Amino acid sequence: MSVAPPGESANRGRADLMAYASLSLISIFCAIPFFWLLIASFDGNAQLFLRWPETWTFANYLRVFTKEDGAKWLFNSLFVVGSATVLVMVLSGLGGYALSRTRAWWKLPFLYAILLIRVLPSTALIVPLYKFLLTLNNAEGALLRPIFGGATRDIMRWTGFIDGYLGLILVLATMQLPLSLWIMKTFFDGLPRDYEEAALMDGATMIQRIRRVLVPLALPGLAASGLFAFMSAWGDFLLPLILLSSPELQTLPLGLFRAFLRINEIDYGLLTALAFIYLVPAVVAFGFARRFLVQTFSGGVKG
Amino acid sequence: MIHLNNVRKFYGALEVIKGVDVTVDDGEFAVFVGPSGCGKSTLLRMIAGLEGIDSGDLVLNGKRINDVPPDKRGIAMVFQSYALYPHMTVAENIGFSLSLKKVAPKEIRRQVEEVAEILQLRELLDRRPGALSGGQRQRVAIGRAIIKKPSLILFDEPLSNLDSALRVQMRAELQRLHRELSATVVYVTHDQVEAMTMADKIVVLNQGTVAQAGPPMELYHRPNNEFVATFIGSPKMNILPVTMTREGSESVHLVGPLGMALTLVDADASLPEGTARLGVRPEHLKVVAPDAAHFAAEVAIVERLGVETYLTVGSIDQPIVVRVEGDVTFRPGDRVPLAADTAACHIFSADGRILRSANAA
Repeated sequence: MSVAPPGESANRGRADLMAYASLSLISIFCAIPFFWLLIASFDGNAQLFLRWPETWTFANYLRVFTKEDGAKWLFNSLFVVGSATVLVMVLSGLGGYALSRTRAWWKLPFLYAILLIRVLPSTALIVPLYKFLLTLNNAEGALLRPIFGGATRDIMRWTGFIDGYLGLILVLATMQLPLSLWIMKTFFDGLPRDYEEAALMDGATMIQRIRRVLVPLALPGLAASGLFAFMSAWGDFLLPLILLSSPELQTLPLGLFRAFLRINEIDYGLLTALAFIYLVPAVVAFGFARRFLVQTFSGGVKG
Repeated sequence: MIHLNNVRKFYGALEVIKGVDVTVDDGEFAVFVGPSGCGKSTLLRMIAGLEGIDSGDLVLNGKRINDVPPDKRGIAMVFQSYALYPHMTVAENIGFSLSLKKVAPKEIRRQVEEVAEILQLRELLDRRPGALSGGQRQRVAIGRAIIKKPSLILFDEPLSNLDSALRVQMRAELQRLHRELSATVVYVTHDQVEAMTMADKIVVLNQGTVAQAGPPMELYHRPNNEFVATFIGSPKMNILPVTMTREGSESVHLVGPLGMALTLVDADASLPEGTARLGVRPEHLKVVAPDAAHFAAEVAIVERLGVETYLTVGSIDQPIVVRVEGDVTFRPGDRVPLAADTAACHIFSADGRILRSANAA
């Protein structure tokens, strides 16, 4: 390493100081809303504006889970988004592998076509999508009602396409799948075929090749694609709003939204507590994702 | 013993392997060598079972194995990238094929340690491939192959990822292993030096066909065609266009570029008159006294290696390389008188077939 002349190193020091100062300012600017949320959620008498609480209390959180249906909303959100994420990981893992290895002529057209799903705003498609799901839902209902009679609604809560978990899970997964397929396709592109061929020569069956070689090798990519899907689906608000109506199916963002819309009162303590609960899984997911994202986007497996 | 009988491979309408016949005897170290795109890797993958064989027979130890799945052929392969699984330790990598066969962990451990002993990998068994050097990874890859006790080990350009010093070391290592295991090896490389130094038998491939197969020195001294003649040996054989005219019944007179004129003995009068191509290796050209010279040329490049010196003489489109013993004082621009060792001259027809080998007369 060469030694910088004194003037240059002073300049370097000043430049570093400026960089750190401006970065700190930006960080503070970004962090304030979170900080506000956190403080207000523990404030016994939270207001619209940021202030230091006079009394610290867990009452807001308690209210979310006792007076409101917070536990149910949290479960619904975790269940729906979690299932969609698992579905996306399985499909993008298999699909990404296939898309990476195939030499079919439709490969590139297909890959660009599925990006359209991602690019088109789901709002624009909501009416046809709703119509389509409603038709499916009615067909399913017509099929199940003669068999299960009165229990049909209970089953449809899980398997229905409208106002049921299944429909929302499928639609959320569909929205996330294109990007995840691209991530996994790119990931497998960087994974030499030699790994599979070596396993083939060692006598591994298809299942063994997937389970003992491909899945462990693809783990960073799968994690990245799954966490992306989770974070994006977790933030989705419009689809659950349109597709769910039963109170027992409401998700966290819907609970938050409805609490905000109540006519006679705006309970900032409750809202901030809810918002904070809503934030936590996304932040945790991002914490995990960071590690894998670097690994995935800096070029596959090193080994 | 592995025997390829008129083996062919098509990619669509393109024939990439055009009827290859090769036999590798037990315990033999055979090297498939050729320029990139000659089909050597495809041929290796066909033997491994990773590529299908469109026609012909692949016979291993008397059994036709065209349709036997790769893992049932009793063949192991060392891949160019080594293909060591980064999520497994060295021991797990080496024992992977046994664990797939549901061999008891204790027995796997015993065999892995046995292999590790041969390959001097004992201390590294619990490391992951990421923490190994290139040479160590190479040895692990070999370990993964030999633990299967295969009747044939395939190597696909295994040294191409190593730096040149390590490559020399690994060449010696591979030869030692081959002796110790008395294994049958088919080894693919584009590097003719690797082929020359390691092989019992070299198979030179060119555009999907066998240009020539045989022991290294036979290929060096008696190439079947111009392709093999120029591919084997470094620096490569000089090829010069010449015109031949008969001179009495027992010799021919050659006239070539740079005023070259020499007479070759041709006792059985097998050489035709007309245009041909003269092949002469750098070590068979000598700097001589002007009155003994076959031709004279201007020195363009001098490469001094100490023990020997390579002179490139003549023009850019017809360079001639001359090997001179020791360190010489020639400089670019000097005009040197040169003579060829007439007993070591090869004559090729215009289309590259051999007409007269060295020392044939």
